[in-house]
Amino acid sequence: MRSFQFTRSLWRPRWHKVTADLWGNKVRSFLVISSIAVGLFAVGLITSMYVLNGEDMEAGYSSVNPASIQVFTSLYEEDVLTHIRHVEGVRQVQGEYIFSLRVRRSGGEWKPIDIHAIPSIEQMDINRVHLEKGVWPPRDKEIVVDSYKLPELPVGVGGLLELELPSSRTRSLRLVGAINDQTIGSTGGGGFFLAPAQGYITLETLDWLELPNNQMNVIFVTVDRSPNDYAYLREVGNRVSDAVEQSGVTVYSTAIRAANDHPNRVYVDAISAVLFVLGFLVMFLSGFLITNTLSALLNQQVHQIGVMKTIGGRRGQIMGIYMVQIFIFGLLAFSIAMPLSSQVSYSLLGYFSQAVNTQQQGFRVVPVSVVLQLVVALIVPQVAAFIPILHGTRISAVEAMSGYSQSNPPNPKGWINQRLHDVRGLSRPLLLSLRNTFRRRGRLFLTLFTLTLGGAIFIGTFNVERSLSSYIERIGRYFMADVNLTFKQYYRIEEIESAIKEIPGVRQVEGWTAASGELMLPDGSVGETTRLLAPPSQSELVSPILLEGRWLGPADADSNVITVNERFRETYPNLKPGDIIQVKIAGRERDLQVVGFFRLAGKSSGYLAYGTYEYLSRVIHQPNRANTFRVRSEQPRLNLQEQQAMGRQIETHLEALGYQLADVEAGESLTATTADGLNILTIFLLIMALLIAVVGSIGLMGTMSLNVMERTREIGILRAIGASDRAVMELVLVEGALIGLMSWVFGVLLAFPISSLMSNAINLALFGAAADFTFTPTGVFLWLGVVSVLSVLASVGPARNATRLTIREVLAYE
Amino acid sequence: MPDSDVLISLHDVTKAYKTPAGDFWALKGVDIEVAPGEFVGILGKSGAGKTTLVNLLTGVDHCTGGEIEVDGVAVHRLKENQAAKWRARNLGVIFQSFQLMPSLSLLDNVTLPMDFAGLYRPIRSAERALELLRAVEIDEHAFKLPSDISGGQQQRVAIARALANDPPIIVADEPTGRLDSSTAETIFAIFETLVQQGKTIFMVSHDPGFVRRYSRVIWLADGLVTDEPQFDVK
Ligand SMILES: Nc1ncnc2c1ncn2[C@@H]1O[C@H](COP(=O)(O)OP(=O)(O)O)[C@@H](O)[C@H]1O
Ligand SMILES: [Mg+2]
Repeated sequence: MRSFQFTRSLWRPRWHKVTADLWGNKVRSFLVISSIAVGLFAVGLITSMYVLNGEDMEAGYSSVNPASIQVFTSLYEEDVLTHIRHVEGVRQVQGEYIFSLRVRRSGGEWKPIDIHAIPSIEQMDINRVHLEKGVWPPRDKEIVVDSYKLPELPVGVGGLLELELPSSRTRSLRLVGAINDQTIGSTGGGGFFLAPAQGYITLETLDWLELPNNQMNVIFVTVDRSPNDYAYLREVGNRVSDAVEQSGVTVYSTAIRAANDHPNRVYVDAISAVLFVLGFLVMFLSGFLITNTLSALLNQQVHQIGVMKTIGGRRGQIMGIYMVQIFIFGLLAFSIAMPLSSQVSYSLLGYFSQAVNTQQQGFRVVPVSVVLQLVVALIVPQVAAFIPILHGTRISAVEAMSGYSQSNPPNPKGWINQRLHDVRGLSRPLLLSLRNTFRRRGRLFLTLFTLTLGGAIFIGTFNVERSLSSYIERIGRYFMADVNLTFKQYYRIEEIESAIKEIPGVRQVEGWTAASGELMLPDGSVGETTRLLAPPSQSELVSPILLEGRWLGPADADSNVITVNERFRETYPNLKPGDIIQVKIAGRERDLQVVGFFRLAGKSSGYLAYGTYEYLSRVIHQPNRANTFRVRSEQPRLNLQEQQAMGRQIETHLEALGYQLADVEAGESLTATTADGLNILTIFLLIMALLIAVVGSIGLMGTMSLNVMERTREIGILRAIGASDRAVMELVLVEGALIGLMSWVFGVLLAFPISSLMSNAINLALFGAAADFTFTPTGVFLWLGVVSVLSVLASVGPARNATRLTIREVLAYE
Repeated sequence: MPDSDVLISLHDVTKAYKTPAGDFWALKGVDIEVAPGEFVGILGKSGAGKTTLVNLLTGVDHCTGGEIEVDGVAVHRLKENQAAKWRARNLGVIFQSFQLMPSLSLLDNVTLPMDFAGLYRPIRSAERALELLRAVEIDEHAFKLPSDISGGQQQRVAIARALANDPPIIVADEPTGRLDSSTAETIFAIFETLVQQGKTIFMVSHDPGFVRRYSRVIWLADGLVTDEPQFDVK
């Protein structure tokens, strides 16, 4: 043992001091390492998430070989596809028959399901799916569904799924698998969240569903080059449409989409935007955290530095000791933070990729994130420690050992001390602890700034979350009807209205019509497809969020005016209220005058326009008839359950009368589905707020504890002159609480710019416009709680420790 | 040219501290000369300026006026780093409160100055440190931490540390001030042995106990050397 220790001593003792300090004061080492590690963790987590998030979305989506062009047509047969294959620019072609049936859901009600009947399903190469459970492909009389909607179905994989055929007969298919189809929502329309459940079957199964098995109505096309170039895609798309029409098949609509443009890209982008801002802030936060921790650590070493200088240590030699020590701290912190942040970011993203329907790629470590963490672990601490080390090794040995500073004598007439004296009625010990707080202004500033920044980010996250939530509530006013009915065919409005009004409690029934139209571009080519919704011109069931121009009113009854959503700006960047656009509806081009812009759920909403019922019903040759109806109850503000109950009552009543319903939807649930994507973002923000609170807490506990540790000697002196343990404890607590409170106040102030920075980032991604500012007290008061508990906890431990030491021990300390 | 009989010479040394109330003159013009092999005791009451004097002599602080020469080196002109380098080889310093590195073993505490000075190879340093600890009879605790031993024992280690690079001069600031009288006696005896071995010792103290045992006593009061004894000599 002895000889081992002796050999160990052969190592230069100055390096020995490095390891001895590390082991000798384990609590302190733990505090320092964990403070650095949480800072690194935050940086690693956010940079990894930022990179992985983008990669998963792009790589995941392009790996399914998504269709670049989708053409919805009248029924056609196989030979048309052969024709399309020879169109210039086309690489692959695949036909499908996509139609809507109704499926019985867990609640017993019938809901629409889109069925994809795919020829030679085992060779399907466009819009590839990813098997999650069970088997793929389905065989005859079997069906596979998308896993996102699986929980809504009454049976799991292996069960029998009940479908309602157009003839109202029901047929069962065995549910054999669940897959992930990233192309859901790619046709525009309502996007992913509004899309119904999807089922996948073979063409042969169509027989069993009483449908012809040799016809299709959708053509998927991939292109030979530049799959991300929208201009090229549009060019090829137009050629394909022409070719289809030459074959005598009618084109209903086309949609083009770049191979890297996941239907939910907006949400992924929004998450990235928040992560970017957060990442930037967190870099600062951890920089301060590390600086704070290390200057606390080095302050405790100033005395020893003085001794070492007196016994002949030169500045370079002494700086070397601390630089190596800090290098080791950084390395240890890195070795904890790096794997942890990789793992946590991957798991968190796993959750989000499910929610926004992207396919998470395999676990991987992000090189950029590792390098950043390494830089922060090795360089930031050196930079942070440089000033204290320089200071510690520069002050003369006398100052270091006596604690006197010759260059900066304590100034009892200082501004703060004067102010403190002005406050009457402060007790002596309280005055002392207040003066303590302000004594080391540099350190106070560092601690305060770190706490303030952490608090501001935390509060800001809540504000952003609140502004999204209130936006979601606002969206509800597009869906003010209690029940929305969709029929399988058009009925006379008067007839349905009087049928529904037989039910007691119904106040109002509106018949709406809807159509889809292709946007005709100024150059004569065909653009995206838009959905047109047409409530009666005097309808009060829509309260829009107007961005520009005006909404529709009774005066517009018979005119060709529309209002359009934010998506239209992508196709028409210079569109103004009053401009005319050409839209092809029911096979004919129409001039429509845009009178206003409204905002819905952001860029992912798809193209949506509102026109008047009076005008559109004539255009589609269904005057006085409608296939969708909106019903309002006599009671205001029904909740979801009440709306659903009312919906069931209406459904039973209408079906008894022989009307063919396709879908019955409660107003609240329509709002909810529309806002689904935004909700995911709010959950994401809450998780980030939580993480920042945890990171901030651990880091700040560390630095504050170090601050109190530094006071051990002072506490000893206080006790020597008769302060009771309680008095000492009070002193430390008051100081901790004071710092906490001050940082809280500053944090609330700093939260304003930080909130608007984050809100704007997320809103630019979602809506392409800056955000309205929202401030919620939730974050403010939660942080007050966090920071109070934190500062007290961080102070009590070391203070307790200090009061336990005997006075002799304390005075001999260091 | 240094006088061969003078190892340490302080000439008209003054020191002013800046305080909020203005300059405070801790030393007001001190002249002292010490020959090799002397055991000089600088005695005075608390606040007389003894520690200030030690700090100037060892080069850790700069005088406001005057000259300090040690073995031909103008200490008052040395820069921080030069002073540290010079101290490492020429001067052993001992403090009232021991000032050992708390996280290092006693052995490492003694090897540390050798490490800084770079005079010995690591293996030789360790051997030498053990010899020095043996000389102050503390070698059996060589691998303990300072906090594991008593104050008297700590001061022995501090003496061993001061001797690490075999400097000709030892400067001590109240080395017995924190010790009980019997422990103080043994520590003082060690210094006497060192003088016999040829070291020159410059010790400041306000302890009247050992006045007769210095080879020469210099009284210090209010920053000036005085002929008047500052306390009763037993
Ligand atoms: N850094 C300093 N700043 C101001 N005054 C000081 C400083 N150091 C010492 N003094 C003052 O100088 C005088 C001499 O101090 P010191 O040399 O420590 O005396 P001694 O060691 O004899 O007790 C004392 O009055 C002391 O208060
Ligand atoms: Mg003194």
